[in-house]
Amino acid sequence: MSSDPNQTPATPPGHNDVLGHVDSPPTLIMVWVAVLALFGLTVALSSSGMFGKYTLFVQLAIGTVQAGLVAYHFMHLRHGDRVVVLTALASIFWMGILFVLFMSDYMSRSRVMG
Amino acid sequence: MSASTHSPVLKHHFGDLNQQHASERLGMWMFLATEVLFFGGLFGAYACYRLWYAAEFEFASSFMNVKFASINTVFLVTSSLTMTLAIRCAKIGDKAGLYRNLLLTFALGSAFMVLKGFEYAEDFHEGILPGASSFGVTDLKHNIKTDAEHAGLDTGKVRLFLCFYYIMTGIHGVHIIIGLGCILWLVQQTYANQIPPENYSTVEVVSLYWHLVDAIWLFLMPMLYLAGAHIPHAH
Amino acid sequence: MTTAVTSVMPKIAPPPPEPAPAEPNYLNINYSLWSWLTTVDHKRIGILYLVSITVFFLAGGIAAGIVRLNLLAPDGAIVSEDAYNRAFTAHGVLMLFFFLIPAVPAVLGNFLIPMMIGAKDLAFPKLNLASWYVFLVGAMFGVWAILAGGIDTGWTLYPPYSSRSSTSNVVPGVFGVFISGFSSIMTGLNIMVTVHKMRAPGMTWGRLPLFVWSLYATSLIQLLGTPVIAITTVLLMVERVAGIGIFDPLIGGDPVLFQHLFWFYSHPAVYIMILPGMGVVSEVLTCFSRKNIFGYHAVAWSSMGIAVVGFMLWAHHMFVAGISFYSALLFSFLSMLVAVPSAIKVFNWTGTLYKGSITFQAPMLFALGFVVLFVIGGLTGLFLATLGTDIHLHDTYFVVAHFHFVMVGGMVLGYMAGLHFWWPKMTGRMYSDWWSRVAAAIIIVGFFLTFVPQFVMGYHGMPRRYPNYPQEFHVYNVMSTAGASILGLGYLLPVFYLTLSLFFGKKATGNPWSATGLEWQSPSPPPLFNFDEAHMPVVVCGPYEYALGIDQMGRGLPEGPGLGSANDPSDKHGESAAPGPMNKETHVVG
Repeated sequence: MSSDPNQTPATPPGHNDVLGHVDSPPTLIMVWVAVLALFGLTVALSSSGMFGKYTLFVQLAIGTVQAGLVAYHFMHLRHGDRVVVLTALASIFWMGILFVLFMSDYMSRSRVMG
Repeated sequence: MSASTHSPVLKHHFGDLNQQHASERLGMWMFLATEVLFFGGLFGAYACYRLWYAAEFEFASSFMNVKFASINTVFLVTSSLTMTLAIRCAKIGDKAGLYRNLLLTFALGSAFMVLKGFEYAEDFHEGILPGASSFGVTDLKHNIKTDAEHAGLDTGKVRLFLCFYYIMTGIHGVHIIIGLGCILWLVQQTYANQIPPENYSTVEVVSLYWHLVDAIWLFLMPMLYLAGAHIPHAH
Repeated sequence: MTTAVTSVMPKIAPPPPEPAPAEPNYLNINYSLWSWLTTVDHKRIGILYLVSITVFFLAGGIAAGIVRLNLLAPDGAIVSEDAYNRAFTAHGVLMLFFFLIPAVPAVLGNFLIPMMIGAKDLAFPKLNLASWYVFLVGAMFGVWAILAGGIDTGWTLYPPYSSRSSTSNVVPGVFGVFISGFSSIMTGLNIMVTVHKMRAPGMTWGRLPLFVWSLYATSLIQLLGTPVIAITTVLLMVERVAGIGIFDPLIGGDPVLFQHLFWFYSHPAVYIMILPGMGVVSEVLTCFSRKNIFGYHAVAWSSMGIAVVGFMLWAHHMFVAGISFYSALLFSFLSMLVAVPSAIKVFNWTGTLYKGSITFQAPMLFALGFVVLFVIGGLTGLFLATLGTDIHLHDTYFVVAHFHFVMVGGMVLGYMAGLHFWWPKMTGRMYSDWWSRVAAAIIIVGFFLTFVPQFVMGYHGMPRRYPNYPQEFHVYNVMSTAGASILGLGYLLPVFYLTLSLFFGKKATGNPWSATGLEWQSPSPPPLFNFDEAHMPVVVCGPYEYALGIDQMGRGLPEGPGLGSANDPSDKHGESAAPGPMNKETHVVG
């Protein structure tokens, strides 16, 4: 594992040994603009009602992209160790277990064996 | 490695600063996984009812104040930007910039809470309440009730949505307040010269929490405010 | 591969000399109460937890005593029906949230994880201390709820009874559970980060002791399950206090949703309780049969398998609660699935025992008891995972007996095994060998007498939580109460002989059981930072090289006089064996 404390990680150029990567403000501002633009999009789509009963899924898809941008850039997942990425994915996976198995009950509760 | 193994901010049980930073970051990420599941339980409950009572939930959502919530979204997303810039300032040793960005983040977070307070006041004024018996409110306000009945909807399920609205925004608000407290603590630490560049991870750890609270809002927004945005009647 | 080694014996370094006595260690470095209350030393925090949970174990035991005594007569022998409800709720809440969940992770895990992986402390020492205080605050709310008159909902707290009808102290009790959950999360988080980031050089994932693997899996469940019970308890409190209720059927809420959320945590929580016990057993069985574990990777990964699959089968608690039939089919299948990793463990333990040089000290007796009782508890679980039989057995004493076989027969015996195994390390003293073996025997006998009759009466239809029963169940209930008395005596014995050992026990050597783990390579009790700071451990091999007779640092094992030659785990025939491989087993270890 990369987490082994006695291993010295190979240091790429431009990477400070102790400080890790230093963000560039233009990238951060671009991410900020993108998240806000996506927010505008989701408000516009929701008010138009053009997706009908699929609106929620469109909204949540956009929300996921927004959260992904925040996680990847603002929360530095792109420089994260393997185990940090794994932790983030595990939380999503476990929430998935909760959702899928909840739905297994709630989507079929009213159906009765014929 | 000598800078990394003989720093005053290095704690005794760690071998070097990289190990310390990585542990702190991982610890916070694991806590965030906990938070995701905490809200995940709530979102899961919401999903079940949204599936069952879609019409009532959309109807009730149309009474939410999208304008306030949108401004709040801008506040929070911007505060995430300033928080990330604060890490950068901590890393390059720009103490003035660190102050500025932390205080900006604090101001934006506070503005979010203030606006949220106005929104609650407005909701209360308009009677958009789930009917909490201990607050002396036993049912929906008359006009909402007749609207709902007119649309052929079950008023109980409208109230169920409002329960979710108050519980979700309330718990999210508590998280914001905790985050604001942490940011104030960072300001104090900066003042006390406790955040030299090699201790930047303290700022980063708080920022991770702050971003997660921001990201959760990005999901609360469509679930609570935009679900009924296409229904024209209210506001 | 060991067979190849047998013919060409490796040159083994001589056993390390015993460290000189009266060196400063974590216990004698400061005696003041203040130094204990403000300590950030993981070992001292482990001891603080040990004392606290022992108190709750005894309190929960008293509640169990009330329940069992009351069931002596078909119409209730000693307390009113309402008091009976409060007694079994107190028993459940105290035992589960304030004893079983923190037992091994917070006591043995705290104490041993840094030592086993060769670290000076856990990653976040202050968080660790905070977790103990948070635990105490949560426990105080729990105690408040019980002293103020108790809770009558059962530990499962199902609404709408708990949210609308019950007049008992639901809110403080639930708040106590909510708070103590944070303490559980803190401990789990600390252990996970420590295992990831603080392992000694050479301590690869494939060389971690299985106790560490099982606690890692436990921590994963604590981290990802506990927040869901936290939100569930918050929702319950909001509904009860403010009337803002999403489980309220009057406004279209679904009380079954509470059960979903509750069991999403509380079913994996039984794996929080049993997995650490499995880790202890893997350590003890190898040591006292002087063999490498059979199938290291299978045992390690089955812990992770239990942690993951354990999250996918909670609704088998709800087969008759009105959930969807199709969903019930799915959950029934998934429930059967968790038997696979559990069985992998049991088969590998039996494989480990096969042709080992087994000695029967107290830790080994407890560990063997664990294996037998866990098998029974696990197999009866399959009855309950089957949709048809579950309708017959749901909410009967069959269920009670099943989970007591796993929780008490499994977990408590695992905890006892661990406590007896590591007691010399934690305190530097040996306890009475004879009394400890007697206690193990009494506990196992008492346990069988308590819970086997419950299987029978449950199968014949006696429902759980009922204070009254028909005459035909009388004899079984009397047997069960008699067994519980024996069990209670068995639990009291360790309190005495372990306490006495602190004052009169023989001084323990650094490695009294001649075990291989890193924790045995420092003196007993260990120094403040676990190891000699100038010579932090470097790991060269896997955790159970008993066949080669070397510890994880590649040094020879001591002869391990322990309690004298006759009890020497490395010597089955009463002759003092040379350190190194046992002739008998080297050709069977594969």
